[in-house]
Amino acid sequence: MTDALAAASTTTFDGPRVRVQRRTTSSIVALILSVVVLVAVASMPLWASQGLIRDIVRLCCYIAIAQMWNMLAGYAGIVSVGQQAFVGVAAYMMFIIAQLWGVDPFVAVVLAMIAPALLAIPTYGLLHRLDGPYFAIGTWVIAEVMRLATSNFGYVNAGAGMSLRVMTGYSATERAVGISLLAALMLLVTVGGSYWLLRSRYGLALIAMRDNPIAAASQGVNVSRLRFLIWVAAAVGTGLAGAIYFMAQLRITPPSAYDPNWANIAIFIVMVGGLGSLEGVIIGALIYFFADRWFGQYGATYLVVLGLLTLFMALFARGGIWGLICKVVDAPWFPTRRTLVEERQ
Amino acid sequence: MQWLDGLVQGVLLGGLYAQYALGMALMFGVMRIVNITHGDLMILLALTGISLAATFALGPWTVLMVLVALGAILGLLLQRLILNRVVGADPLPSLIATFGLSVALQNAMLQVWSADTRSLGGGDIAQASFQLGTLYVGVLPVIVLATATLLTGGLDATLRYTRFGRSLRAASADVEAAAMTGVNPKGVYAGATAVAVAILGFAAVFQSMRATVAPADGPFQLIYAFEAVIIGGMGSIWGAFLGAMVLGISQSIGFRIDPGFGILAGHLVFLLILALRPQGLLGKD
Repeated sequence: MTDALAAASTTTFDGPRVRVQRRTTSSIVALILSVVVLVAVASMPLWASQGLIRDIVRLCCYIAIAQMWNMLAGYAGIVSVGQQAFVGVAAYMMFIIAQLWGVDPFVAVVLAMIAPALLAIPTYGLLHRLDGPYFAIGTWVIAEVMRLATSNFGYVNAGAGMSLRVMTGYSATERAVGISLLAALMLLVTVGGSYWLLRSRYGLALIAMRDNPIAAASQGVNVSRLRFLIWVAAAVGTGLAGAIYFMAQLRITPPSAYDPNWANIAIFIVMVGGLGSLEGVIIGALIYFFADRWFGQYGATYLVVLGLLTLFMALFARGGIWGLICKVVDAPWFPTRRTLVEERQ
Repeated sequence: MQWLDGLVQGVLLGGLYAQYALGMALMFGVMRIVNITHGDLMILLALTGISLAATFALGPWTVLMVLVALGAILGLLLQRLILNRVVGADPLPSLIATFGLSVALQNAMLQVWSADTRSLGGGDIAQASFQLGTLYVGVLPVIVLATATLLTGGLDATLRYTRFGRSLRAASADVEAAAMTGVNPKGVYAGATAVAVAILGFAAVFQSMRATVAPADGPFQLIYAFEAVIIGGMGSIWGAFLGAMVLGISQSIGFRIDPGFGILAGHLVFLLILALRPQGLLGKD
């Protein structure tokens, strides 16, 4: 097919010769910076204090969870307000595998990813029967079911929660090395993986689906299958962030694991940063992270402002801050566009 | 005996849930919008009512009238300022807008009323009960159930027989076609939201008389309303009523099996119905 097209364009097509351009100067700079950031995160024990490592791991978890929500809402057209179900189930699975079954905690983080995947499959099977907005509330019910079930489940110490005592087998330095490598891996999988997906053939299908699912289906995109795959992948990515977050915390309880605030954070980051763009998630996560540090002490008032800001963005600036920036300068960090450029002869 | 008691108490609890669910069914039917602040608005009305009753020494029935009027005004404001801008085929804007408002409302209420649970003194009625065979039944829960039945019947009759009801049904079937035949969609939407939030005024008074309210309770009420609507069948007013009964009975029976299992039992019955009969009990295929 591609060969035939290429042949056609060289033999019968008399117009200007064209090529598809995907890289821009800004994207090359961003790519180099991304590699630098990844290396910096992975090598944190060499240059950062314990407190700073904890903060950066937290920021990485926010970015991962928000990016997964962005893939759902920004591309697959699925709005979930119950992502905490996957945060909690993966983190609890990690605690079970490491603390109760005696597997190495760093291996357990990877093994635990089976739990969010297994939860996501039947969840989608049940909820996809519901109309758009009702799907969202349905995800909330799933998260509540998980929270209540965990609170009644004696094997994981019910409502009292668990501690990751096996981590005492490692020295503080070893723990810092492990968690830094995991955080870098998480960024690579969630942000890098999303970027790779969006640039692939599937990316074209996803963007078509975002713009108009019915038109995309008529062009041969299997919309329902793609939605399902994104749903499961987002569950695993969200779960990975949850497992790493609670590994750093060393302690887990049902209310903290299944905290609706996880969904609040993801929604705030994506809506303020910019829906449907990787750049937006990074901007939003940085804003949330620093707002939380500087204004978190104001508690409820601060959350009122966050809520109103989300409302304001949904009403007046649906593209978020990145959308506003794009109106002024066109310098994407992670371009997914294909631009047709005329070759000079 | 215990189970019969569970069943009766469940039906009575369902009366309260029906009052949350009616407004949600109405708004979704007409606008295809789920208002995430649904539960928070009920809590806001309830806390306002409790403060009014304490400040001006009002009885519960006066508070009820004030809250229903206040609910209608709040509904109009919500429609005018927010929902009108986000209504449309894409569910994302309305969900996110009301989600943000919900977070803001919960925390604003936390500032004003603190995290304490509060309730509305109902005088003698709150404690009164009568004997039915071997069961004791509270007078207040029976009033709640009767009110829920009247509200459901009234809303159903309004939709069937009045000019406003016809325009609501026309707008829910096809809003553009309805606009061509002279229905003003914005007027219809405003009416539906006002009625939905006004019904929450009833729910607010009864919830704060029967039990307690706290600023963070809203999301739970939202979930109960949602479950009742889905169990009963989307788009059906009596379906929402029936769904509320099923939910109330499930929770009440579950609570008697194990106190930690009550709410969970309601959720599980909801998921079961979703698996076996996704169109709901009264829904059409």
